[in-house]
Amino acid sequence: MFEPFLCLLLGLVAALCAYRAMISKHLLPSALYLACVSAMTSILLYMLGASEVAMIELSVGAGLVTVLLVYALSVVGEDTYDPTSIIPKPLAFLLVTVIALIAGGMAYSSATQPSISGDVLLAEVLWKNRALDVWVQVALIFSGVMGVLGLLSEQVQTRQTQKSAHRNTAEGLAVYAEQEARV
Amino acid sequence: MTLTILNAVLFSVVLLLAVGFYGLLITRNLIKIVVVLQTLVKAAIMALVLAGNTSGNPGLGQSAAATVLVADTVVAVVALALAVQVRRRAGTLDIARISTLRG
Amino acid sequence: MAGILIGFVIGIPWLGAVALWLTRDRNSSLQHALAVGFSVAAGIASLALIPFASARTVIDLPMGRYFGNLTFTADGLAVTLTAIACVVGSLAVIFSVDYMHGEAQLGRFYAFVLLFIGAMTGLLLSGNLLFMFFFWEITALCSYALISFYNDDPKAVAGGIKALIMTQVGGVGLLAGALITYAALGSYQVADLLAQAGTMPANLLTLAAFGFLLAAAAKSAQFPFHTWLPDAMEAPTPISALIHAATMVNAGVYLLARFYPAFEQVPGWKMAVTAVGLVSALITAFMALTATDLKRALAYSTVSQLGYMVYAIGVGGVFASQFHLLSHAVFKALLFLAAGAVIHATGTREMARMGALGKQMPFVRNVFILGALALAGLPILNGFWSKELILEAGLSAGPQWAYDGMLLGAGMTAFYTLRMTWLVFFGTARETFHVHDAGRAMKVSLGLLAAGTLTTWLLAGPMSETLHGTLPFHSIHSLSLFGLAEEIFTAPATYLALMVVAVGLVIFWMVRHQATTWRENSQKSGAGNWMTILSRESFGFDWLNRQVAGRTVQFASVLQKTQTGILSWNVVGILSAFLAILLYLVWSVK
Repeated sequence: MFEPFLCLLLGLVAALCAYRAMISKHLLPSALYLACVSAMTSILLYMLGASEVAMIELSVGAGLVTVLLVYALSVVGEDTYDPTSIIPKPLAFLLVTVIALIAGGMAYSSATQPSISGDVLLAEVLWKNRALDVWVQVALIFSGVMGVLGLLSEQVQTRQTQKSAHRNTAEGLAVYAEQEARV
Repeated sequence: MTLTILNAVLFSVVLLLAVGFYGLLITRNLIKIVVVLQTLVKAAIMALVLAGNTSGNPGLGQSAAATVLVADTVVAVVALALAVQVRRRAGTLDIARISTLRG
Repeated sequence: MAGILIGFVIGIPWLGAVALWLTRDRNSSLQHALAVGFSVAAGIASLALIPFASARTVIDLPMGRYFGNLTFTADGLAVTLTAIACVVGSLAVIFSVDYMHGEAQLGRFYAFVLLFIGAMTGLLLSGNLLFMFFFWEITALCSYALISFYNDDPKAVAGGIKALIMTQVGGVGLLAGALITYAALGSYQVADLLAQAGTMPANLLTLAAFGFLLAAAAKSAQFPFHTWLPDAMEAPTPISALIHAATMVNAGVYLLARFYPAFEQVPGWKMAVTAVGLVSALITAFMALTATDLKRALAYSTVSQLGYMVYAIGVGGVFASQFHLLSHAVFKALLFLAAGAVIHATGTREMARMGALGKQMPFVRNVFILGALALAGLPILNGFWSKELILEAGLSAGPQWAYDGMLLGAGMTAFYTLRMTWLVFFGTARETFHVHDAGRAMKVSLGLLAAGTLTTWLLAGPMSETLHGTLPFHSIHSLSLFGLAEEIFTAPATYLALMVVAVGLVIFWMVRHQATTWRENSQKSGAGNWMTILSRESFGFDWLNRQVAGRTVQFASVLQKTQTGILSWNVVGILSAFLAILLYLVWSVK
């Protein structure tokens, strides 16, 4: 009878981390809080019996994505921006609360039914029944690799494009000078 | 009303979704939006596994969750690459200022 | 084999479109060569497809539950029109080598032309209504892009938008017809619709029938949508010849012919088709009497001739309409390309400024006269045979008043054709142009089309044989060439029609000095004043069409305001929709 409370606790911690990630003024803490969310999710997935998915989640969600985020931050630098929201916050809050209540209420009835636990062989399902998914994933990973290359190769061509892109705007010039100085 | 693992996870899912949606609504920084999207997807993955368990088809739920996980990681990577590009060319990550750019 | 050839006639032009898009305007002679190569290859493939015509479905690819199978059927109707599209397409491309010489952005031009040819053949060969709609929309897109090819000219852009909106109205009709068919029969296959139309509920069948009629009228620029075609004349002339005379505008007629057996029994449908054809033919023939813009005059005559084809389908003469379609595609492409040669040489489209050009451009003059005589319907050119066939079908099966109207139209056709020829090539020179005769590439396409104008009527026998053999639902009797000749020369209607044509020519000759001064848009009084007033606004329908186009554009700009480009508001929209769905679910469960 201990496990459900652990689950609830993990979920609360995850939501809290997600909230901190959202409101944090700087981007780096945001990325770290996201890694926390990912870790909590991973444990929750494990407790649901999805150990393989939990492993992937931990390594990709907490590992790879965090690394990429931190890398991207190091490329663009900390950005100052206006923290005020474009749409009124009460409206956002109201909309989200109503949706969460309705969706939660609707799902509640189905989630109380007892789960049928048996031997779950993810590999078997994945390779036999959902073989198409695997191929889609291969294609996706390939495009992800292309994306990473795009992110990395930035450094090389940026000198040229920056000069041409910002030539005409004073603001652009300022940004450019700032970056030059940093380099 | 008894607390089981299942409805505890459901509660977490709804909470995470709510925080994610709220974040999506009020966030103005492009990279932050990627972060918020990530939290939303975590909730979606948990919901998929949960649905697999409650519908008696756990393998299917997990394989769908794995696919979503891969897809979402790729989305994050590409979105980050785009955000870096936008920062370089527009000089800002603020979506309100980006949207006023033309051409 | 037929499957491979179908793949070729759709695939080769699209491959060419991609190749030309990638050339990036670095080497214009390479672009010309590539375009000619791809289009001629497609033309050869389309001709090779003709012997394989059959009612059988050749390609059948499953596309999932909701779209039905992607099927292609190369029956007689489809292969004939495919051959027209690809062959006239390749001739228009060859013509463009001279006409578009030295123009910028050739890659965009040729890419859209080839994309169009591929989409047109796809539209003709497709056996699935949904994919037919898909190809239909691609042709509309290409038409728009090519009308607005000179996109720094506001008139060209406006003409393109107008054509796009008008043909979209038709697209809605086609889509509605396809969806109704699916709802009633559970299938998107054309063959199923033709076979089981009788089992559909009568009201649904009527809706589908008039949906297809709407689509056909909009695409073929028939009444009341007939004003977009003249405005589409801002396109480069080879485009006018290919898309707005020989192929795309025929798609509407093709649609009516294709589904004629399904809708034949719908009460009022045949009468509506007849009336649309008659009104279009007469209104635009009248407009052509006063037009002074060479290409607009040709455009009016195109609508008028398309009206003849629609009329023919309305009175049950499917073969007559398709035969006239073949003749018209050849001689109208010839007329447009010859006009293109004149416009290219003089730099103007105003016939009021031309005159006596015949001496300087003898080759162009000769082929233009040939095309004009075919348009007027004089023996033994191809236009004569097909027009007589239509009139005969109308006399034997259609209402008498419609026949009388079409006869009058034939006389007006002869009148405006002669007026056009006279204004451009004869009479007195109103301005001096230092012109040269057509270039080599132009001469090749003009010569081939002129040869076609003289000879395509010889194909009547094999064509009717093919249609008879491969269209199980149409009752087309096969007709040998001698049978055709006998039918036409023994019918008194022929001599009546010829007499009307002769009267039209004679009247022009008597009033030629006044007729050459009639102006489409002039304000000054004088001869033809009442005609000018009537035709100034296309009998007021120009106003109607402008309203439709204008309102659509206004509506679009209102919608545009909802696109702030600010992500947060978009998310609000998404979440609101999500909330609405949730509420609906909650409500529907209870």
